[in-house]
Amino acid sequence: MFNRNAIFFAARFDFHFSSFGKGPMDPLTIVVLVIALALFFDFTNGFHDTANAMATPIATGALKPRTAVIIAAVMNLVGAFLSTEVAKAISVSLINEDVQIVPEMVFAGLTGAILWNLTTWFLGLPSSSSHALFGGLVGAALVYAGVAGVNFPAILQKVVIPALMAPLLAGIVAFLATKIAYIVTARSQHARETTGIGTGRNSFKVGQIFSSSLLALSHGTNDAQKTMGVITLVLVAAGLQSSGDHVELWVVVAAALAIALGTYMGGWRIIRTMGAGLAEIKPAQGFAAEVAGGVTILASSNLGFALSTTQVASGAIIGSGMGRKGGAVRWNKAGQIVVGWLLTLPAAGLVGALSSLLVLFVPGGLIIDLIITLAVTVSIFQISRRNKIGAHNVVSEVEGASEVIQSARQIRIREARAAKVAKALAAAEKKAAKKAAAKKGKK
Amino acid sequence: MIDWSAFLLVTVASVTFATVIILSFATGVRLLTNAQNVTGKAKKGDQKAVIFEFWNRTGAYALFAVFGTAILYGIYLIVPAFHK
Repeated sequence: MFNRNAIFFAARFDFHFSSFGKGPMDPLTIVVLVIALALFFDFTNGFHDTANAMATPIATGALKPRTAVIIAAVMNLVGAFLSTEVAKAISVSLINEDVQIVPEMVFAGLTGAILWNLTTWFLGLPSSSSHALFGGLVGAALVYAGVAGVNFPAILQKVVIPALMAPLLAGIVAFLATKIAYIVTARSQHARETTGIGTGRNSFKVGQIFSSSLLALSHGTNDAQKTMGVITLVLVAAGLQSSGDHVELWVVVAAALAIALGTYMGGWRIIRTMGAGLAEIKPAQGFAAEVAGGVTILASSNLGFALSTTQVASGAIIGSGMGRKGGAVRWNKAGQIVVGWLLTLPAAGLVGALSSLLVLFVPGGLIIDLIITLAVTVSIFQISRRNKIGAHNVVSEVEGASEVIQSARQIRIREARAAKVAKALAAAEKKAAKKAAAKKGKK
Repeated sequence: MIDWSAFLLVTVASVTFATVIILSFATGVRLLTNAQNVTGKAKKGDQKAVIFEFWNRTGAYALFAVFGTAILYGIYLIVPAFHK
């Protein structure tokens, strides 16, 4: 099945490629472009979501940054081969069934998803790649089929409400888990002083390795399938595949490789945000956050409704930040992330809609759209190089975050001390002046 | 429209499973620390310490095995071929 189709596909592609650029674009060229764009989206999905599983083990030092991304990449690669259930039921349920899906529409939707993913990555914001994909496709569908083409109740039910529930539920579970972990392993000051016994909380690092690997595996089985679903959708729309009830092997292989490669790239900006920007994470907290995240994701996906891995992971980190005594959550950062989530669907939708307008109404619009997308992509990567964050400095950045806080506190203490000294000096001077004046008076 | 019963079920399941997993692992960590604390005494031949060390270490490993089982159950849930 795979071989025959691939050859058939290649032959048609060669035959038609000579007509590239003459007159309206050949349908097969468009299909090839859409597949390339879908795989690029898959790639961005990979590095955007590395942080979900690996931010906390990197932050606590349970795994070295490079080791962490290698494990995550392998888990995503393996995960992508495990199942094609989600791919078959790809989330076009947000678009009404009577809308005829054409490859150009998917193309426009993908540009929206990719550009939003790159923007949020540049800003270091963990946002749901799936929501970006849905948003882009819905925006394109609005242009192609109008308001009637979009299933708004489904958007509310499948995107908006889960987006509110995911961080809340994961946050509560992580808060409880963190409390339990700290209470169970607590040692009294007396015990520590008399026996020299420690809390042993660094042992949670070992648990973190397993919990984070499981999260990465679960990510691979879910997210790579969305790309497989999109490619299958386009193949069916173009008449290259008879029905969408199966996924071609080459599609599985390509999607698996793209997401694994993306994951290996790291997405260090988002890892820094989740590992250090939201809360200072200690091993027991990191473990509690990952157990909470993993359990929430598996429970929800097996009991009826799927939650966004990104939102679950972010909520869990905030919950574990609140669960430790003296642990502070940086709420302004959390607020920025929530704003990013709220914007994801409309922003990706807006780009998807603008792309659709370009493709539909401007001659050669698809090529123009492709060039614009590539240009924006290249410029975001170029600008990001000015303050590059990678495996070499993600950990020092993580440590740096606490140093800044410490030094701020030290500065305050120093200032207070300096003020005290200045006060004492001033008082002494006054006394001396008084004495001098009294002496003068005597004379 | 919203399936509240499914949401409730997910909440209860998440809290229950997370509690069991974290309780077992954290207790394991505590017992292991107990054992490590008397390892020196036990090596010197203190009979009380030997027994204390043995039971705490055994308990810790049993609890880590509970965590291991939870991970395996997670893999079972992730791979559809295992349960469908």
